[in-house]
Amino acid sequence: MGSQSKRKQETALVEIIIISAVIIAGFALQFVIGPLDFGILVFPVNLILGFILLLPILFKLSQPIRKFGSGKVSVILLTIVTIMAIYMGLVSGNDVKHSWPFAFVYLMCMVNLAIAIGKRVRKFRLKKDYGFMLNHIGLLLLLFAAGPGSADMQRWFMTVAEGATEWRGERSGATDPVELPIAITLLDFKMDEYPPKIAIVDKVTGESQPVKRPVFVEAVGGETGIISGWRVSVDSFDYRPMMAPVAMISAERVSDGKILTGRVSCGNHFQQFRILDIDERLCFAMTYPEPERFSSQVEVFTKDGKEKSGVVEVNAPIKTGSWNIYQYSYDTSKGRDSQISIFELVYDPWLIPAYAGIAMVMLGSLTLLFRGGKRE
Amino acid sequence: MTWNEFIYFALGSLLLWTFGTVALYRVKKSFTGELLIIAGLLLFSTFIGLLWSHIDHPPLRTMGETRLWYSFFLVLVGYITYKIWRFKWLMAYSILVSAAFIFVNLLKPEIHGTNLMPALQSIWFVPHVTVYILSYAMMGAATIAATITLSTGKKRESELMPLIDNLVHIGFGFLVLGMLMGAIWAKEAWGDYWTWDPKEVWAFITGSAYLVYMHAHYAKISRKDALWILPVAFILLMITWLGVNYLPAAQGSIHTY
Ligand code: HEM
Repeated sequence: MGSQSKRKQETALVEIIIISAVIIAGFALQFVIGPLDFGILVFPVNLILGFILLLPILFKLSQPIRKFGSGKVSVILLTIVTIMAIYMGLVSGNDVKHSWPFAFVYLMCMVNLAIAIGKRVRKFRLKKDYGFMLNHIGLLLLLFAAGPGSADMQRWFMTVAEGATEWRGERSGATDPVELPIAITLLDFKMDEYPPKIAIVDKVTGESQPVKRPVFVEAVGGETGIISGWRVSVDSFDYRPMMAPVAMISAERVSDGKILTGRVSCGNHFQQFRILDIDERLCFAMTYPEPERFSSQVEVFTKDGKEKSGVVEVNAPIKTGSWNIYQYSYDTSKGRDSQISIFELVYDPWLIPAYAGIAMVMLGSLTLLFRGGKRE
Repeated sequence: MTWNEFIYFALGSLLLWTFGTVALYRVKKSFTGELLIIAGLLLFSTFIGLLWSHIDHPPLRTMGETRLWYSFFLVLVGYITYKIWRFKWLMAYSILVSAAFIFVNLLKPEIHGTNLMPALQSIWFVPHVTVYILSYAMMGAATIAATITLSTGKKRESELMPLIDNLVHIGFGFLVLGMLMGAIWAKEAWGDYWTWDPKEVWAFITGSAYLVYMHAHYAKISRKDALWILPVAFILLMITWLGVNYLPAAQGSIHTY
């Protein structure tokens, strides 16, 4: 008994030594060559790494290697991950996520998971192991797609005018457009806006009144409200294409019945703004209308001849192959009259494994909800 | 149906839910209590349905509309979890938090008009937040039970240990669901599942701390020693929930609201 527990302790020591050595190697690399450049992991390097991670699942490994798939190792690694993440969360301006020590710990977690899954596969019993398998295989897939897989990700921005077709995209920050294997025709850009609002604004500080808890009245014909002692009513509201929104308002000061009437407008690309003065300091003004939703009717073409048409909207990208097209922006100075639409194009060949991983872990967490902390 | 009628449906549902929970505690058979809770859920969902058909699009575009769904789903998921685990306190907790959202909507009606920017108008918004709130409840209860066990010694250990493990595993299930729904939403809205935004970093820290607890027995850490992880993890969870916005590393987070 005594000698057995001693051997257990020694083996844990070996594992701790290996983990420490790998992390120290990570720090050494960090000092010598600086942060990890994800570029070194691009296809096919990440695919090869993926195959290596599959080996412990497909083949039975020798006993010393199998030890690295123990629950004990997972506790050590998870503790280190937690500490590194706390550093990441507390120290501003750090770049832990691109550092070698973090990448190596991340890699060791994947190896630990792969070996642990491999051990379970060899004595698999559905009823006992399905929860473990869903959680850990799903997590391994997700860690792989979001880690080494993300090296293949590309992000481009593309600005397309209504009626035009565009092949060229720009990387964020860069200026020279590059021809992409994908093109977009913008048939129509559409935008709905929330009605702008009437406010009392301090002309010096720009603050809406009352300071800290501003009150607004929606610029919709017939709306009324009280702002800082003024009873404001919107008599009419007018917002035509290629014009700025204008409201005709009347306001009565509650304390003495003083009445002001006039036009206010937030102005835009097409027209000047207008305010209605109360005194030297305060005036009635209109806020800019906020976007409620905006979308682009598009046709998408790829070099290999695929065609797709549809509507791209915030939260609803269009997918073709490994490309996702997002509604990113528009000409904000013209608002709903914008004649261009700006898209973000994301190329991510590991999208399906990532979603498969997410789906598996979600199912796995349902098993946690039903089974709780029961252990076999 | 408009927000003007909300008060009748809201107070009606709250009454049904409150009586239902009291009945769970007082009446031997749980049938009466459950019936009242389900009736409250039906009443509340009737309001959502009628409001939906009145405004002609899913009510997901203002802060007030979002709170409406929290109020509903907290009680619904709380009730389902109660069905499985028979935690009566969870029913009471869900209704309390739901009531808080309902009262904000009743007392600050101008909030109905606080518009959501397009990226926040997602079907993932509501479930993402709801499961986190439930996770906090589980983890909070586990922390209390762990503190009792740590301070009373052997006596309560055998009784409370299984409860603590259940609570942490259920709570972790909700936590992971919340994180992954957030990841899917981020992918749909911004093209990236995970950007190590400060709130995400702290959610990750919280998750991995609980994972240390859940795997601790493999490292021959005694169950009692492992219990010390829970109060620490709960502090991390509180930082994630409330504290992140005050940390220097968090300036410029998309999660500051
Ligand atoms: C979603 C996250 C995770 C959940 C819900 C989870 C849950 C669990 C559970 C419940 C067990 C016990 C299984 C059983 O007795 O049937 C277990 C075992 C284990 N987990 Fe995890 N885990 C997660 C993440 C991880 C991670 C990130 C690692 C690696 C760093 C890991 C490594 C392991 C290992 C090595 C075992 C022991 C397997 C064995 O010895 O058979 N797990 N996990």
